Amino acid sequence: MRANVWNGRNSVEVENVPDPTILNDRDAIVKISSTAICGSDLHLYDGYIPTMKKGDILGHEFMGEVVEKGKGVANLDIGDRVVVPFPIACGDCWACKHELYSVCENTNPNAGMAEKVFGHSSAGIFGYSHLTGGYAGGQAEYARVPFADVGPIKIEEDFSDEQVLFLSDIFPTGYFGADLCDIQGGETIAVFGAGPVGQFAIASAVLMGAERVIAIDQYDYRLQMALNKAGATDIVDFSKDPDIVEQLKELTGGRGPDAVIDAVGMEAAHGHGALHAAERVKQATRSESDRGHALRDAILACRPGGIVSVIGVYGGLLDKFPSGAFMNKGLQLRAGQCHVQKYLKPLYDHIRNGDIDPSFVVTHRMELGRAPDGFETFKHKQDECVKVVLKP
Amino acid sequence: MTRKAAITILGSPEEIKKRWGEAGYRPDYIDSADAGVTFKPAPGDRGTEIHVDLDKTAPGGKLGEMAMKLSGREPLAKVKDDLRRFKARVETGGIPRSEGSPEGELAERKLKQRPAQPLEKSELEKVGV
Repeated sequence: MRANVWNGRNSVEVENVPDPTILNDRDAIVKISSTAICGSDLHLYDGYIPTMKKGDILGHEFMGEVVEKGKGVANLDIGDRVVVPFPIACGDCWACKHELYSVCENTNPNAGMAEKVFGHSSAGIFGYSHLTGGYAGGQAEYARVPFADVGPIKIEEDFSDEQVLFLSDIFPTGYFGADLCDIQGGETIAVFGAGPVGQFAIASAVLMGAERVIAIDQYDYRLQMALNKAGATDIVDFSKDPDIVEQLKELTGGRGPDAVIDAVGMEAAHGHGALHAAERVKQATRSESDRGHALRDAILACRPGGIVSVIGVYGGLLDKFPSGAFMNKGLQLRAGQCHVQKYLKPLYDHIRNGDIDPSFVVTHRMELGRAPDGFETFKHKQDECVKVVLKP
Repeated sequence: MTRKAAITILGSPEEIKKRWGEAGYRPDYIDSADAGVTFKPAPGDRGTEIHVDLDKTAPGGKLGEMAMKLSGREPLAKVKDDLRRFKARVETGGIPRSEGSPEGELAERKLKQRPAQPLEKSELEKVGV
């Protein structure tokens, strides 16, 4: 089959590789109908996530048709149309029993490697380095889906791929970010990053009853999408004024947002020239793995007693954590890879009820063979790119 | 340096102990090492803790011989592999395999991962799938 593989920093290539086969009784093979490039794939592309290997198949947002299954998969039939969640979860361990699927205790066969870096292992993830298991990803014609009796959700209604594909990651991830903010109604939520996950964090905060949602980005076309499609009430364009913290205070009568979502992660851009340049150098020389402008500003901007919710991906260590602001303002810091399996059904219900049509983020559609162009266009935000969907 | 390892598995100490002794579950390496193994109930609903101490031997074990064989870091990594594989077998019914680590958790595999792409037929046979 054809698959998009990692070839080294800033290089991916569509190659012919062997077809996947069942390795466990609880595996299924899915013939992929649509797959997407995630913002977190750019961290792999840019070379900031360790333990990538030449030839790794990328991709963790995919859907398709079940074409083969192991004897432990009773809930799915051949021919079923399914969306596959990006974390691989066993459903049996203590974490899974408590709906903490992204920290499943069993699905990372490189747990020993992850323990050395993170203290503990988290769940396996499709196409996301060997630290999260070394699983082949879904930017391909076929994928093996382990624990297919736990993860995939069947799509039985007549929705287009683009309306349901993002149940695999970015819609639940954005929703999870908003869920961590304990929204009761009437809050002001600020969202750093108006990329695809940020768009869904904004839309989810609105669904949950936030009164004002502020989108923060440096690209006007993304901010316009946040305003016009996701439901943001205000925007902060830091390409015009780099002092995000002051602007957020100004927009909130000096209080600061009740909760702040970091939907940016380890490759944050920033208007503060000197600090950004220093961090860029440290990251390039590998003396600091994570650039942290978004997280620092989130902590500085959040109102005292508020919540900082981190769904942007970080991979290692960060300098200059504002511990004084964090402690003295009495903030709560919450984070995680999304426990997608927990949110699949409720979010599919939101789609069915017409509360949201997640296809609004799609700006580019390409044949799988053009994946390398897709990565370049997405990385450099060319042609007002927000989300690239690949068709095998 | 500590030569102890521990893991927590869902299930009562009675169930877990019983599995530990069953063919198809029994951890080969820990078994052959005659290491000291203790089972304790974990707090709350967390299940059972298994503690392995390489500096103690199982009742009737050949301490001197094993202490020689088990010097260095490698044995602890193998004990951890064994514990993780045992946990996965008990909790999930099998050993999770990825394309990069097709044998499942294996210390030797950590340094020479294969690319995360499907295996050729000959490779599948080699890894015993």
